[in-house]
Amino acid sequence: MEDNIYSKIVEFKQEHINEAVHEHFKLNHLHDEIIKQVVEVAINQVIDQHGPPPSPFSFFVMGSAGRLEQSVWSDQDHGIIYHDQNDEVKSYFLTLGREISKGLFQAGYPYCDGGVMASNPFWCKSIAEWQQQLTKWVLESSWESIRYLLIFLDGRSFYGESTYVDQLKKHLYQTTNKEQLLTKSLRNTLHLKKGINVLGKLLVETHGPHAGALNIKEIGLYPYVNAVRLLSIKEKRLETSTLLRLEKIPDSCFPFAGKQFYQQQFLKLLQYRLLFGDHTNYDSGHYLAIHMLTKEQTKEIKEIIKNGAALFHHVRRLLEKDDTDGDE
Amino acid sequence: MDTIFLMNSLWVMVGAVLVILMIGGFILLETGSTRMKNAGHIAGKTILTFGISSIVFWAVGYGLIFGKGNPLIGFSDFLYSGYDIDGLPLSGSVFFLFQLAFAGISLTIAFGGFAERAKLGAYLVFALLFSVIVYPPIAHWIWGGGWLAEHGKQDFAGSTVVHLTGAMAALAATILLKPRIGKFNKDGSANNIAGHNQVFTALSVLILWVGWFGFNAGSTLSVDSAFFGFVAMNTNLAAAAGTIAAMIISWIVLGKADVPMMLNGALAGLVAITASCAFVETWAAVLIGFIAGILVFYSIRFFEKVKIDDPIAALSVHGTAGVWGTLSTGFFATKELATVGKPGLFYGGGLHQLGVQALGVVTCAAFAFIVSFILLAIMKKAMNGLRVTEEEEIIGLDMSEHGSYGYPELLKAEQKINA
Repeated sequence: MEDNIYSKIVEFKQEHINEAVHEHFKLNHLHDEIIKQVVEVAINQVIDQHGPPPSPFSFFVMGSAGRLEQSVWSDQDHGIIYHDQNDEVKSYFLTLGREISKGLFQAGYPYCDGGVMASNPFWCKSIAEWQQQLTKWVLESSWESIRYLLIFLDGRSFYGESTYVDQLKKHLYQTTNKEQLLTKSLRNTLHLKKGINVLGKLLVETHGPHAGALNIKEIGLYPYVNAVRLLSIKEKRLETSTLLRLEKIPDSCFPFAGKQFYQQQFLKLLQYRLLFGDHTNYDSGHYLAIHMLTKEQTKEIKEIIKNGAALFHHVRRLLEKDDTDGDE
Repeated sequence: MDTIFLMNSLWVMVGAVLVILMIGGFILLETGSTRMKNAGHIAGKTILTFGISSIVFWAVGYGLIFGKGNPLIGFSDFLYSGYDIDGLPLSGSVFFLFQLAFAGISLTIAFGGFAERAKLGAYLVFALLFSVIVYPPIAHWIWGGGWLAEHGKQDFAGSTVVHLTGAMAALAATILLKPRIGKFNKDGSANNIAGHNQVFTALSVLILWVGWFGFNAGSTLSVDSAFFGFVAMNTNLAAAAGTIAAMIISWIVLGKADVPMMLNGALAGLVAITASCAFVETWAAVLIGFIAGILVFYSIRFFEKVKIDDPIAALSVHGTAGVWGTLSTGFFATKELATVGKPGLFYGGGLHQLGVQALGVVTCAAFAFIVSFILLAIMKKAMNGLRVTEEEEIIGLDMSEHGSYGYPELLKAEQKINA
C-alpha cells in the first residue's frame, strides 16, 4: 500500500478548520492554503516519478473555489493550462491532474460529479487548445457549451503561470461578440428556484433528508452569483469572486440600492450558510436549518432572497434592453 | 315489454360497463403512482381481486345488501340467478351487475393501502373477507333499506358506501403493514417515492372521470326526466373544480404546479360529488369539488406528517374527500332535489340533515375501520405477517409474487448496470 503523502495536510485541516468555520474570509483563506499544500505535494510526487514539468503551466480553480465562496465542504473544480503542445506534455499534466484530484479527495474535497477536474483531458489543455476550445464553445452556443464557458469564467489562477487564465479570458472577450455571449449566458441562467411563496413563507424542502430546510445554494446564492457574473461579462472583467466583481462593476449597472447594498446582502447570506448550514457533509451544507433561526433572522433571509431575485431581474432587463438596442 | 323498463335497463347497463372500466382506471392510477418493479403485480392483482369480488358478490354479497332481512343486514337472494325484482323498474340482472361493479370499486380502493408491500395471499384473503363482512353491511344500511336509509342519509352514489368504506379499510391496512422501506428517514422526515409514470396517472384520472358518469349518473337507475344529465353535469363540474383547486393550492403553498397533486384534486372532486350529485345545485357542485381539491392537498400532507405511508393517496382522495362529500349535502341539499332526507343548512333545513350525514359518516367509517382492522390483524397472525420480506420488497413484488417483471427488459438492464 502506498504511504499516504497527504496525511499531514489532512491533519493540518483538522487542526485549523474549527477556527475558520464561522468566518467566510478566514475559511476561504484556509481552503486556499490547504489546496496549495495539496498541489505542492502532488507536484513533488509527480516530479519524483516523472521528472520536472516539461513546460510552464498554470493550475487554476473554478466553481466556488474559483469565486472564493467555498463553504465548510466543497467539491473539486479545477483545470490546467500548459504552454507547450505535444503528447508527452499532455500526458505529464494529466498525470499531475490525477495526482492533484486524488490529493484533494484525500484532503476532504469530493470529486466533481461533472468531471470538471484537471485529470479530465477536457479541462487540461495547452494554451492553443484552450483558445480553440473556448472559440468552439462560443460557436456551438449550446446550453452545455455555454455552461462550460460560465464555469471557465469563474476560473482563478492558483499555481504556476498566473497570467494564463486571464490571457484566455481576454482572448475570449476579444474574439466574441459580447452581446451574443451575454444573451446566451443569460439564457443559461434564467431559471431561479423559487424561495418564497405568494403567502410570503419560505419554501423549504418537503421531502428527503433535508426536509424542512432551505436550499440556500440554489435559492439564495445563485441569483446573486449569476447576476453578478453576467454583469462581469458585460464589463469584460477578469475577477472571479462575486464580492470583488461587485466592487469593480460600475454603479450604473445596479438598481437604486447600489452595489454596496448587494455586497452586504451577499456576504450576510454566506455567513448564514456558515452559521446555520448542517456542515456534516458536502450535500447538507447547502441547506439552512430554518427552525434554528430567530424571527428576525428569518425575515432577513427572506429579504436577502427577495433582493437577490430583484437584482437578477434588474440585470436581466438591463441585458435584454442592451440586446434590443444592439439589434437596431 | 314496457319501454321505460327497457330504457332504464339499457342506461344502467351502460353505467355498469363504465364503472367496471374504472377498474382499468385504478390499474393505471396505482401502477403509475408506484414503482416499476411492482407494476405487473399491481395490474394483475387488481383484475384478480375484481374476479374474487364478483364471485363473492354473486354468492353472498348481493343477498346481504339487498336481501330481505333487518335494518342491520339483508339475508336472502344468495346465489342470485338473474330474476327480475318486484317493484324495480329495470332488469334485475342489470341492477345486480351495476351493484357488483360498485362492490368491486370499493375493494380496489381498499387495496390502495396495500400497495408495494403486501403479500399476494393477503390480497386474496382480504378480498374475500371485505366482500362479505365489511362492504355489505354498510351498503345495506344506506342503500339496502337498512337503518341509515330509514334515518334519511343522503349518499347518492356512494361517497360513504363505496369510497369511505374502501378508504377506511386502506387505513387499517396501511397502519398494520407499516410504511414502505425508504419512505421515512430516521429523523422522521419523509422521502418522496415518486410514481414511475405520470402519464399513466393522468390517463387513469381521465378514465375514472369518464367512468364516474356511469358511477353517478348511472345511479339514477332510470332515464326518468333524463335526470342523469343533471347528475353527470354536476359530476363533471366538481371534478373540474377539484383539479383547479388542487393546482392553485399547491402553487400557493409549495410554489409549484404539482402534477400528481392536481390529479388527486380531480379525483377528490369526483369522490366528494358522489354523495351529493343529485341533491345539490350546479354552483354548489363547483364549490364542493373546489373544497375537495383544497382538502386533499392538506390531507396528503397530514397523513405524511403522522407517518402513515399512503402510496396512492387513497386515504385522502377517497377518505377525506368522501367524508366531505357526504357532509356536503348537509349544507347544500335543496328542497326540490332532496328526494331522500331533508334539505341542507343553506336551504332552510337547519342542522338536521348535517347531523344525519355526520352520524352516517362516523358510524360507517368506524365500522369499516374497526372491522377491517380486526380482520387484518387476525390475518397477520394467521398468515405469519401481511407483508413480503425485506428482500422481496426490494426486488419488487412482480418478481417475488409472480416470478416475472411487468417491465422485464428494463429491469434486467438495470440489474446488469448495478452488478
